[in-house]
Amino acid sequence: MAGAAAALAAPTSLRAQERFPSRTIEVVTHAGVGGGTDITARMMMVQAPGEFGQEFTVVNRTAGSGAQALQYLASKPADGHTIILVTQTHLLTQIRNPSLPQFGDLIPLARATADPQLVLVRRDSPFRTPADLIAAGKARSLRFGGTHVGGVDHVTIHTFGRAAGLQRPTLVPFRGGGEIVINLVGGNIDTAVVNPGEAEAQLRAGELRPLMSLADSRIAAFGELPTAKELGIDATGYTLRGFCVLKGTPEDRVTRLEQGLIRAMSGPIYTTYLQNTGQAPDSVTGREAWGAQLAAFNNDGREALTALGLLRG
Amino acid sequence: MEAFLGGLAILLDPYVMLMVLLGTVLGIFVGALPGISGSTTIALLLPMTISMGPVPAICFLGAIYCAANFGGSITAIMVNAPGDPSASATALEGFKMAEKGQAGLALGMSAISSAIGGIVSIVVLIFAAPLLARAAYSFGPPEYFALALFGLSMCAAIGGDSALKNLMAAALGLLIATVGMDLTTGVERYAFGVMELSDGIGFVPVLIGLFAVGEMLDQATRRFGKPAIIALDAARVPGMAEMRKCWRSIWIGSGIGTFIGALPALGATTAALIGYNETKRWSKHQHEFGHGSIEGVAGPEAANNAAVGGSMVPTLALGIPGSATTAIILAGLIVQGVRPGPHLFTEQPTLLYAVFASMLAANIFYLVMGLTMAKFFARISLIPPAFLWPSVFALSLIGAYGPNQSMGDVWVMLAAGVVGLLFRRAGFSPAPLIMGLVLGGMVEETLKQSLLIFGDDLTGFLHRPIAMTLIVVTLAGLSWPLVARLLRGVRGARA
Repeated sequence: MAGAAAALAAPTSLRAQERFPSRTIEVVTHAGVGGGTDITARMMMVQAPGEFGQEFTVVNRTAGSGAQALQYLASKPADGHTIILVTQTHLLTQIRNPSLPQFGDLIPLARATADPQLVLVRRDSPFRTPADLIAAGKARSLRFGGTHVGGVDHVTIHTFGRAAGLQRPTLVPFRGGGEIVINLVGGNIDTAVVNPGEAEAQLRAGELRPLMSLADSRIAAFGELPTAKELGIDATGYTLRGFCVLKGTPEDRVTRLEQGLIRAMSGPIYTTYLQNTGQAPDSVTGREAWGAQLAAFNNDGREALTALGLLRG
Repeated sequence: MEAFLGGLAILLDPYVMLMVLLGTVLGIFVGALPGISGSTTIALLLPMTISMGPVPAICFLGAIYCAANFGGSITAIMVNAPGDPSASATALEGFKMAEKGQAGLALGMSAISSAIGGIVSIVVLIFAAPLLARAAYSFGPPEYFALALFGLSMCAAIGGDSALKNLMAAALGLLIATVGMDLTTGVERYAFGVMELSDGIGFVPVLIGLFAVGEMLDQATRRFGKPAIIALDAARVPGMAEMRKCWRSIWIGSGIGTFIGALPALGATTAALIGYNETKRWSKHQHEFGHGSIEGVAGPEAANNAAVGGSMVPTLALGIPGSATTAIILAGLIVQGVRPGPHLFTEQPTLLYAVFASMLAANIFYLVMGLTMAKFFARISLIPPAFLWPSVFALSLIGAYGPNQSMGDVWVMLAAGVVGLLFRRAGFSPAPLIMGLVLGGMVEETLKQSLLIFGDDLTGFLHRPIAMTLIVVTLAGLSWPLVARLLRGVRGARA
């Protein structure tokens, strides 16, 4: 009897498997239409329908730094038809708000961008070498430019400062990379961690100098530039974007999504997008590396927010 | 120069010309609809432009950007619903003109001053972009603080005739600007645990509510409201007499708009508001302001379109977009292979001049279209209110919901609509509130940034010549009425 039931059940589940995805796949993002993260989603989507045989649509749920996007994801069945574009901001929002779906409630699928950050100073800065910067940072609190207090940059700067043994850095918060770059050139801050793409014009013109990168290994475009790790500072800094689904999504669908997304993002349109925006060409990777990277930032984030007194209770 | 002529020659290609024309028409259309802005349109069309080839794609995007900014003024004037936030200053006087039966004059003046402002700024961009871009580096938080203070210092004088009421409205605007997460502490203020409020109160829903919904509620509650006794010259477009009257406003607006647009942290909305302030300050017909002044349309419209060209300065010459809109334009250009920076002007002149040429062409196109269509648009004011306003209300709902797909924004809009109604009944003007809302957040934020930079030492401002100059000008402007009265008193005593 049980065998018969299983035999009956098997073909249906098999058919369900063949049919996935059976309707339009929604991509939830916390970015407004036209934000960097939103554009990443839309660039991926150009070739995704070809891979999956279904339409893709972006759902912008902008409120609460990712909170609304996570809630939207949680309100949908875990059937793989709703995927979320996750950034480090989501992890920090989760840490600060335990009532939201937590990091453990997500299954990483594939990474879309991994843009390493550089530690920059302006051309006439007294810090000629990484050692100059570290020595100064031990003597006084350096003014770092970054995004808002308690944001991703703040965590990176805090982790970097601790690993290098600096006095707690002063974060001067700005609205985005462009403002940070301008204030760095203008001499209002000592240093900043910035993506190469955000400061491309100033780096090429020599108005800003990189002292080190916060990548895991040397960046091809900056072959001479040492990583912080090489200098004995155990800190990394990346701008990460990638896709996740809700826990409970059937394993075969997770695999199907992972492979399809990677193929869609290996196509010419997405690769050109990465290249033209100065983002690392090896950005796209599968769930394993992507999940490990998210987990590492999750730990750094919790530690930094606790140390900075930004966690309640 | 040769490269620029080459850029103009690009326009001779019928395909490119068609794209500019298409972009202009689309831009006017989406610009006029509240809630759909040029930037949203560009973001949505971006993936589609990839296959167009760089030059047509860039021309298409540039044309949308220019035309959308003009399009916003059409709905601002006709139904008091600024299609784009930067048209809010235009609504202040433009809608009053439409009510007086001068819709055609307002629309026509908006098209003319927009095009002049736009063209002036593009010419400046062509000749002085790298130079002007350097100025961006001299503007840090202390300078922006002083500039925002300068803008706010006018808020008692704009809007209604009562300075006290204007200050009260401005205070409300400042208060609304504090809602949401504070950049410098990471703490949420006045959000009451409501997620929609944690990012602050959106500018667009407040604007649509205050203007359009407030107007609708006002009309709906006047049972025997004045029927559309619109004068027959509603369709008349501006002639030489109006041009002579508005020249000065257009130049003031173009200058302010180009400069403010070129500052990365400020955009068309701020440019239009400060353009409105200064147009009023230097006008010979100050009493007309608040009651449908044509100069009050010309100044801010010239300013917000000049800001479009101005905002391309840091975007192209520094690779730093000042606003969400230019960020999307930049993304569009970068995807097409434009590599912004000082070297762009020497390395990729063809693409660069394609940007300039398409923007120039778009300005001329919408001028022609705007003037021709003004007569038709002006007839909107002949639609009976019972048909017109419900449609505007439906548009407003979509406009508030659209950008963030958020019901929270719709509630904010409806609440702002009630505030708008109360404002009208109690004789308040929305202008100072908007001023407070736009500049309030900036004043606070830049002051806190300045103090972090100065290590909590206020005397740091003394070492910033640009900031000090602006602060002195602000103080002089504030004390001038007092000083003038004293001087008159002295002179009177002598006589």
